[in-house]
Amino acid sequence: MRKFQTLMAAAVAATLLAGCGAGTATPAASEAPSSTSPSGETLVVYTNSNGEGRGDWLTAEATKAGFKIEIVGAGGADATNKLIAEKNNPIADVAFGLNNMYFAQIKAAGALEPFDPAWAGDVDTAVGDTGDGKSYWPLVKQAILLGYNADKFSGDTAPKDWTDLWTKDEFKSRYERVTGLGTATAQLVFAGILSRYKDDSGDLGISDEGWKQVEQYFKNGSPAVAKTDLFARIASGEVDMGQMPSSIIADREKTFKVNAETVVPSVGVPLAVEQIALVKGTDKKAEAVKFIDWFGSADVQAAFAKQFNSMPVNKVAAEQANPDVVEFFATVKQQDIDWEFVQENMGAWVEKIELEYMQ
Amino acid sequence: MSGSSRGGSSAKSMLRSPFILIVGAVLTWFIAAFLVWPNVNVLIATFFPDGNFSGRAAEKLFSSQRAMKSLGNSFMLAVALSITVNVVGIFIVLVTHYFRIRGSRILFLGYATTFIYGGIVLAAGYKFIYGDKGIITSLLLQVFPGMDAAWFSGFFAVLVVMTFATTTNHMLFVANALRGVDYQTIEAAKNLGASSWTILRRVVLPMLKPTLFAVTILSFLTGLGALSAPQVLGGRDFQTITPMILTFTNSPTSRDLAALLAVILGAATILMLAVMTRLEKGGTYFSVSKVSSALRKQQITNPVANIAVHLTAYLLFAVYTLPVLLIVLYSFADGAAIQTGQLSPGSLTLDNYVRVLTQESGLRPFVVSVVYSALAAVIAVGGLLFVARLLQKYRNWVSSLFEYLLHIPWILPSALLALGLIISYDHPNPLVGGAVLTGTTVILLIAFVTVKIPFTLRMLKASFASVNSSLEEAAAIMGAKTLYVFRRILLPLVLPAAAAIAALNFNSLLDDYDTAIFLAHPLVQPLGLVIKANTDGAEGVEGVANTFVYTVLLMVITGLTMYLVYGRSGRRGAGKSGAGPSGRRRAGFPGTVTIAEAAPGPEAAPLPAGRP
Repeated sequence: MRKFQTLMAAAVAATLLAGCGAGTATPAASEAPSSTSPSGETLVVYTNSNGEGRGDWLTAEATKAGFKIEIVGAGGADATNKLIAEKNNPIADVAFGLNNMYFAQIKAAGALEPFDPAWAGDVDTAVGDTGDGKSYWPLVKQAILLGYNADKFSGDTAPKDWTDLWTKDEFKSRYERVTGLGTATAQLVFAGILSRYKDDSGDLGISDEGWKQVEQYFKNGSPAVAKTDLFARIASGEVDMGQMPSSIIADREKTFKVNAETVVPSVGVPLAVEQIALVKGTDKKAEAVKFIDWFGSADVQAAFAKQFNSMPVNKVAAEQANPDVVEFFATVKQQDIDWEFVQENMGAWVEKIELEYMQ
Repeated sequence: MSGSSRGGSSAKSMLRSPFILIVGAVLTWFIAAFLVWPNVNVLIATFFPDGNFSGRAAEKLFSSQRAMKSLGNSFMLAVALSITVNVVGIFIVLVTHYFRIRGSRILFLGYATTFIYGGIVLAAGYKFIYGDKGIITSLLLQVFPGMDAAWFSGFFAVLVVMTFATTTNHMLFVANALRGVDYQTIEAAKNLGASSWTILRRVVLPMLKPTLFAVTILSFLTGLGALSAPQVLGGRDFQTITPMILTFTNSPTSRDLAALLAVILGAATILMLAVMTRLEKGGTYFSVSKVSSALRKQQITNPVANIAVHLTAYLLFAVYTLPVLLIVLYSFADGAAIQTGQLSPGSLTLDNYVRVLTQESGLRPFVVSVVYSALAAVIAVGGLLFVARLLQKYRNWVSSLFEYLLHIPWILPSALLALGLIISYDHPNPLVGGAVLTGTTVILLIAFVTVKIPFTLRMLKASFASVNSSLEEAAAIMGAKTLYVFRRILLPLVLPAAAAIAALNFNSLLDDYDTAIFLAHPLVQPLGLVIKANTDGAEGVEGVANTFVYTVLLMVITGLTMYLVYGRSGRRGAGKSGAGPSGRRRAGFPGTVTIAEAAPGPEAAPLPAGRP
């Protein structure tokens, strides 16, 4: 019994010491001399873009470049909440992968530090922070698409737009609808649909007609099944279509042996742009900026794009990206969305949809 | 202990003992610093966003048909589960520990599978079998071609899956209490001509009451908080409130709705707790014989009943074990096969395991999780041993207040608890000696300990309640001090239960995500975060396959834990479950009744004073 107590006390002490160690190590290294080469201090990086080996790839590449990074993966909403909750005593130094909607929230909460990366001239600032004191910068473009099973529908018989799904009988209950609005993709789909029905006198800035669309979307769709991918459901014939972010399509087609085509509505498709930002109050600002300069640079973005079939915002990097991907983004029409309006209202929209329309 | 009939339990008498004062002071600080303050902070931040109370949340919720329906479903599930889990749980406990059933050892192992897994993978396991493309469904379709392939969905399916998934507490605690039943009372009843059924109903079950009350509260709570089973099997008609709470917790503008919903569920839990506490006070459940003897397995004399019980027991065995087998099998299949439910023997490879175990982070998250969970499990149980004893012994308004305060972590979802800790301790706070806790490795440990407090307290209290008080009284009469009595007499008696509670705590924390996501130190990330990173819905094709691999690996860890806690003594107890009193090492000693087979070796647990 006594032995056990001693062991436990030792273990507790070890943990507490570890805690103190980590706590004191950070400020000690804060005054890094400003130079162009990385100092090798450990940077804490929050991202929602670490899946499918991206996190491991980035850590390895960063190490080669002399950076020491520790990636903390979390979903978009979790990472956003975490960054906002920690703003008084930030733990992260850099955050990336979240889209403009999430970063706008974090910026509004005062948790981001404005900065200009070295590659600012290589990106289109219109898809980044459009406000004053630019705090987040665009990295990767992602289109949120309506995809369908090309073995069942041809370009002529497929839906032409989201609204066809619930207005035309042949698509009713053949499309997958979301069961929660917690994910970035789902929120962007609704941003794309609701933006079309902007009406200042309507509820939450949306006309009654707009809310009717939402109601019909939920009424006629086949609810998504937890832990069952849309492509798995398409493969088994349960449904034929649903929302899909552009970057995953090629991979899923192969895995589930599905032949998918995507719809480009006449209004265009919503583009989500993944961004990178500097966390306000970081005591490793110099190193963090160096890391951002390196990660957003044309070379690294191009390598990332080649590895993961993504579409870099960096124009120089885009030249080296997968040509199919580049061509898709060159031809796809971007939907004109008032992001400020969307960001202001998304929280309330999600709430209203969850409470009133979801079944 | 026979309810509130014992004297000397007033608040005043409590304050006279220095031991109690010290425990009380530490407890008061802990409750204030980690249960009350952070949660009051987060509730104020949600309900009084600009310093003014907003009734918006209630208005929104009560006018939402979906919210009300989901809430109703959660309550319906909670009530139904309280009944069904007891029915199934008591049945499997009787089959493995009370009746003479052939192969009860094997049956025990089958029923014990719920110890080692749960959550979304368990629900998926059941779907592989009964879902529209499941094995059983395919067989049934051959027999009844006209039947609905999606028969296993909705309330019925959720209730079935959750019932079989949550009998763990029965297998551990009710079984433990059953072993403590004094066989002499059963013999006496027999001599008086009582039938097996009467003995069971009038003698055996009443003695299990304190434990049954405790596990019923847990079943109720499990039903209220149901998440994965309804998501996987509930379909359109049976969705519960938890997913909505999670969505709203994650949306800063709707967090008041999440908090309100959580408070509603919390109030229901507290109400349930109050009702159970009242019922518990109602009677004396203890055998008063001074020389109790070990339980002997009962033969079911009616041959028809005997066959029926055997058949049911083995049917349940199949129900329990099939999902586990399929999960292990599918963990070798690729992600597509898992999700489409189509498995070909040739497609089983070790790829998933290689991928998971060779990734950059490797085994480190496993180690981190094991250390954190073990520390939290031991601290929670160790710290609450004294507290549970005091709360169980002294029943007055002070102890009731403490008891209810200790249940706060049951009221709020863990994400809100975590947010509360962050906003309370991201600046130097006098409550913790002016330290800043965010960004340290301690804060996650604190959260892990706090979330496990209510469960630990309930089960410890129940096990103290089933300790025969005569030993303690005897020691006190002979002049033993409070601490001495506690250490040398009470502790050894509840240690098996405490070990079981610690093991369950440990298992349940291993893959925690909700708390860790907000509180983990970036350099010391536990397993839950790694699992999630690899399985987030839109993230990876291999994600689902990874979940299965992690589940199987966790099954191994938790299986090992349960073996360490139960296995070795289980071997000793094997003779006993076979039959006869030969395995009852300490049979015949009063007060040792609850130890039964989980008793650790003599080197770890000193026998009660004066015992050989």
